[in-house]
Amino acid sequence: MKPNYTELFAALSPEAALIVGALLVVVLDLTLGRKKIAEARWHAAVRIALLAVGLAGCFTFASGRPGAEFGGAFMLDALAQATRYSVLVLAALSLALLPGTARMRHPAEFVAVVLFATAGFSVMATAQNLLIAFLALELASLSLYVLAGFDKTRPESAEAALKYFLFGGVSAAFLLFGFSLLYGLTGSIELNVIARELGAQAASPLLVVALVMVLVAFGFKAAAVPFHLWAPDVYQGAPAPAAALIASASKVAGFTFFARLLWSGTGASSGQAPAWMLTLAILAGASLLLGNVAALAQRNLRRLLAYSAIAHAGIMLLGVMTGTRFGPGALLYYTFTYGLATVGTFGVIAIIERAGRCQDLDDLAGLYRRSPLLAGCLLMFVLSLAGIPPLAGFFGKFLLFSQALRLTGLTGPAGWLAIAAIALSAVALYYYLIVLKRAFVTPAVAGTEARIAVPLKPALALLLAAALLLALGVFPSSALRLVT
Amino acid sequence: MIPATLNGYLAIAVALFAIGLVGVLVRRNTLVVFMCLELMLVASTLALVAFSRFNGTMDGNVFVFFILTVAAAEVAVGLAIIVALFRKRQTIQIDQLNTLKH
Repeated sequence: MKPNYTELFAALSPEAALIVGALLVVVLDLTLGRKKIAEARWHAAVRIALLAVGLAGCFTFASGRPGAEFGGAFMLDALAQATRYSVLVLAALSLALLPGTARMRHPAEFVAVVLFATAGFSVMATAQNLLIAFLALELASLSLYVLAGFDKTRPESAEAALKYFLFGGVSAAFLLFGFSLLYGLTGSIELNVIARELGAQAASPLLVVALVMVLVAFGFKAAAVPFHLWAPDVYQGAPAPAAALIASASKVAGFTFFARLLWSGTGASSGQAPAWMLTLAILAGASLLLGNVAALAQRNLRRLLAYSAIAHAGIMLLGVMTGTRFGPGALLYYTFTYGLATVGTFGVIAIIERAGRCQDLDDLAGLYRRSPLLAGCLLMFVLSLAGIPPLAGFFGKFLLFSQALRLTGLTGPAGWLAIAAIALSAVALYYYLIVLKRAFVTPAVAGTEARIAVPLKPALALLLAAALLLALGVFPSSALRLVT
Repeated sequence: MIPATLNGYLAIAVALFAIGLVGVLVRRNTLVVFMCLELMLVASTLALVAFSRFNGTMDGNVFVFFILTVAAAEVAVGLAIIVALFRKRQTIQIDQLNTLKH
């Protein structure tokens, strides 16, 4: 293979824009921003970062020549492009929320690390080669560990970062060992060669070990039971914008990455039903059950969101199973709309935290009187998470469940999982309504009735997320056409 | 001297990985846990090099160089987090890190 670096640059120009943007943010803050006040530095850093993300979006549009790039190391198909757009939108929303939480020092570094993480997500979406995939995953993960521990005024933040780091490190080691076994079995690190080689040879115990190791790493990234233990602690301890990114863009990129790995890399290995299907079904069922039941008992809003994320991960795993036959559209639609709703919810938390505390459910009390805008946005996000029509969360669930029921009917695990998920959605509705009850019905505690001022950029970001959720819910087919 | 076989290398790699995993699960000191994590990465490195040698392709060897770099970056981030934590809590024992509770 003769490498063509012009083509490579054209294919990866969005990531290049993000990296250049990150470096610019740091350099400008060190030179021009040193004498300025923190508020001005925040706004400048966020403005440059938003510009870089916007440019990356334009470059993604321009690099839309579909097909394999650079000898098959990157794949620019519809799934990759749609994931890139989703990740960029979610990162831009998380960035726009930042001026609302300007309590942390070192604004430029925070913004730059967000951009590095976004570049990692974006490469994850396109990687078609084990080495590139591993590097992209590590770039994203290492950035996220730093973001989780960024708030140095609170010990919880560092503790959350350490837990995230240790779990993430173990899962990366598992992934790497799985990759090395896949390489040993096939002699190649390119996904299509691996698929071809594995299709030609009989299933071996070594392949099962490799798949199990990859699935452990997947379970961690998706926060699926039994690899979910980090999620509640990280959601609770990390600064709200970091938690928003971990819960949304990281999920979207992770699911695209692992789904591509499983579908194209190892899907063809053993005849009609891939070997990983049953394992995935067990993970999905356990996540649905534990996530929904444990969320009922939570008094802490962020932990409640974490357990709801675990339950949603169960549904997304169902989407990975159905994607083998129906394509990636439904899975990506679900992860993206889930990401929008989560970014929005963490955005509301971030803005409330500016005025005071926002950890327990009781801290939401009287939100309707304190800020009708925040309460209205929270209503949209939480109802979308619960899956109430006409919001996008409903259509995502509907699409995934109907595909799961059509996959094998009730003869396979997917159909039964879909029925269980529908039943557990009723349970989920209960704890989502508790959140809304606190915000709309319960009066504010004495001493915290003051109105909450919402800065312009975060307000716009929240409104945009809510509008997108509504638009995607009303016109889902136009979004799905992007992917298929 | 016994000639080195692929299975021999793999057995060592699996043993290293297992030692690392048990260490991560059992040890209570964050720094030791951290070292065990590195051991798990080294195990995959060994497996990759052995496979590369016996498959006759260079991909595995190239992979290893990138893993070394990533491991170094991981050490930097990990130690930074441990230092930040120690400044706030004056401990790095995992069982004492329980501010975040269910």
